[in-house]
Amino acid sequence: MKVAVVVQRYGQAINGGAELHARYIAEHLARHGEVEVLTTCAADYVTWRNELEPGVGQVNGVPVRRFRVKHERDPRLFAERSDRVFEQPHSLGDELDWLDAEGPTSPALVDYVAKHAAEYEYCLFFSYRYYHAYYGTRAAGGRAILVPTAERDLTVGLSIFQPLFRRVRAVMYNSPEERAMIHAVSGNQNVPGVVVGIGSDVPNSPQAGRFRQKYHIRGPFAVYVGRIDQNKGCNELFEFFQGYLNDPAGKLSLVLIGHSLLPIPEHPRIRHLGFLDDTDKFDAMAAADLLIMPSYYESLSMVTLETWALGRPVLANGKCDVLKGQCIRSNAGLYYETYGEFVGALEAIEQNRWLAGTLGRSGRQFFRDHYDWPVIERKYLEMFERLKTGAAATVHPLPGWFERRRRDLPAAREVLTRLPKGPAGIRS
Amino acid sequence: MADFNVRSDSVNVEHVMEQIRARISEKRGVDYTEQQIRELAAVKLERFLDPRGVRSDLLDQFRKTQPAYEPPELPNFAFEDETLFESHRGPIRWIRKLLLPILKLFFNPNPLIQALHIQSRLNAMNAERDAKLESARRAMDQLYYELVHNLVIETTRLGIEVKNLKMRVESVSSRLEFNERRARALERVVVYKSSGADESHVQPASAPATPQPFTPPPSRSMPLQPAPSQPAPSTGAAPAIVQGQPAAGTGQGVPGEGPGQRSRRRRRRRGRRSGATAAEIMGPAGSPAPGPTAGGPARTDSTDPVDHDAEHDGAEPHGVEPRGAEPHGAEHHRTEHHEAGDAHAVAAEAAAQRADRASHPSEPPADSGPVAPTDPGPAPTADSGQGGSDPDSQ
Repeated sequence: MKVAVVVQRYGQAINGGAELHARYIAEHLARHGEVEVLTTCAADYVTWRNELEPGVGQVNGVPVRRFRVKHERDPRLFAERSDRVFEQPHSLGDELDWLDAEGPTSPALVDYVAKHAAEYEYCLFFSYRYYHAYYGTRAAGGRAILVPTAERDLTVGLSIFQPLFRRVRAVMYNSPEERAMIHAVSGNQNVPGVVVGIGSDVPNSPQAGRFRQKYHIRGPFAVYVGRIDQNKGCNELFEFFQGYLNDPAGKLSLVLIGHSLLPIPEHPRIRHLGFLDDTDKFDAMAAADLLIMPSYYESLSMVTLETWALGRPVLANGKCDVLKGQCIRSNAGLYYETYGEFVGALEAIEQNRWLAGTLGRSGRQFFRDHYDWPVIERKYLEMFERLKTGAAATVHPLPGWFERRRRDLPAAREVLTRLPKGPAGIRS
Repeated sequence: MADFNVRSDSVNVEHVMEQIRARISEKRGVDYTEQQIRELAAVKLERFLDPRGVRSDLLDQFRKTQPAYEPPELPNFAFEDETLFESHRGPIRWIRKLLLPILKLFFNPNPLIQALHIQSRLNAMNAERDAKLESARRAMDQLYYELVHNLVIETTRLGIEVKNLKMRVESVSSRLEFNERRARALERVVVYKSSGADESHVQPASAPATPQPFTPPPSRSMPLQPAPSQPAPSTGAAPAIVQGQPAAGTGQGVPGEGPGQRSRRRRRRRGRRSGATAAEIMGPAGSPAPGPTAGGPARTDSTDPVDHDAEHDGAEPHGVEPRGAEPHGAEHHRTEHHEAGDAHAVAAEAAAQRADRASHPSEPPADSGPVAPTDPGPAPTADSGQGGSDPDSQ
């Protein structure tokens, strides 16, 4: 079995969600067959600047073939086109222009896929929203399997992606919410799909005491792990947690781990430790009383799963369907949508040891049942087996010049508002 | 969150969240959304509390934003029987009239003229009626606007008033609870006092004094009378006091302690007590100096609540009530809920001092001397130099 993993960025030091997801999957599938990674020379997801050398290399024993990006992203142009397709009625040509502005525009990568797709049994495309996935799936034809990593954001409302979801051979979803959303937006129920997600190499015995000693942290604390960014809901987290700090009964501190794009509130009980390596990160999770995940948009929160794997409860943003759904399915985390719920849930976990312990145990069991690596690998291999018998969908050519310029497509926001909301199974 | 009703091997997160939301609703009364809370917070409360705000100039502003209604100039025509044949040129008009019979040979124009005339009048009537209706509608709109505006303000004001009343009810209920506890504690004291065993146990303290029957609680003004005029050892009040407060003592000072210090502490203690009820009930029992009888002072000093006060000064007003007769919560309530009573006690203290100075001008101020209030009645009223009888002054 030879599989190509096609992803926008790839590398040991690249820790974006989808990129890390792709690396983990590539490394684990490499145990069952031949895997080659096809990616770009970019390392920065904002500029897509060519920073890595093109050609073939290796990352953790997996061969990686890199292709140059044709042009960097122009933020101003990208913003203009985003506004047009997200907020106004527009044409198919507008959406294709937006895709080109978004990047990473690498025709060389797409050409390579078109020419060599037959050498691979399957091509796994990660992140539906980028140039490589849209054109690459067309080039790979019946060998294309999509790992969409789709979130409930405006991009999913663009019309160019609806045929993409329908034409791939299979879709590996991250969560039931993601599957329901893509079904609703594209009607691809006939395309084989399975909710897989991703595992994590969580250490068996993290050293909580070592972490506390190293960073001089005493007392109970909640931890946030990830990029400290407005898009991740960190502003709301700071606002809510500062309100919680006014409650004399609350004893929790907040420890932030990750690069910060926001000013951190100055308070003795809010500590920012910056970016930590995996060892310290897992030690911090083990030492924490709980993890807070304030993000509005997640297709699958790996850090949430890792926290559950370590037997710690999670407090998630209930406005994110995926996180809320995971909490409900696992019975391993509470969720909030308002300040009152935030404080109430935080106090519940803080003051009720039984509740915290039970949530943690449920999380550990949930991780073992659904996100342990043997489970993930088995789901991928079973899908490959299943696809051997099925027929590939037809790839239709792109519409002509006049068709592309017909301004009859609704704004992406309009499409998004029509999609059902809420966790899978209890959607509105 | 120790009151979660989930006690099994697994937990139902949705159930827990329902409980959390229920608690939030209980706390807030209404489960507002964050947006609603922000809007409420952004509104100035004074705007609703000011009664003049009900008739604000909002209506005037509304009128200003809406210009006065002027009916549109709708096109119309005047159509009379001569209209068809009119012309500003006289000959032409004459020729038209001349040829009218010939025209009538072809068709009859009269019904047409009549119809157009009626239509013209109908147009005018409709335009007039529309203008009236529109004007009336606009006036009604203004009234509705004013009505809704006033209703919103009144509703908001009522909401705030309900909140205030709820808080007052809570306050009153907590005071009631405290007073009930206090009453229970005092009832226990009375029961204890009436028992023969206790009397025999306490009698030695009052033995040197003249035996007196049980003295009923003095009137409200009694504790306000200062001590300097009190011949302490032989008063009839002493047995009653000792009987009434066997364990807690009666407020005597610590030996070696300055009199001013003692009186200040007593004032502080009074200040912490609840208002009239506390002053009324506790004053006579605790305030009169029982008089350091020959065998008394050492024992009463050992149980003197002033010692407790010294230990807990500023923290918990122990003292006059027997310890353990009242739950801890009551002490907390005492300090918390009786600011009015505090003010009353301070005023009473000041009055007592004034009365004392008036009756004993030669005596030093209360702060500088012993302030043990006396019990009137059978006690001698002559100034017998209480300094000698007061252990503090010895």
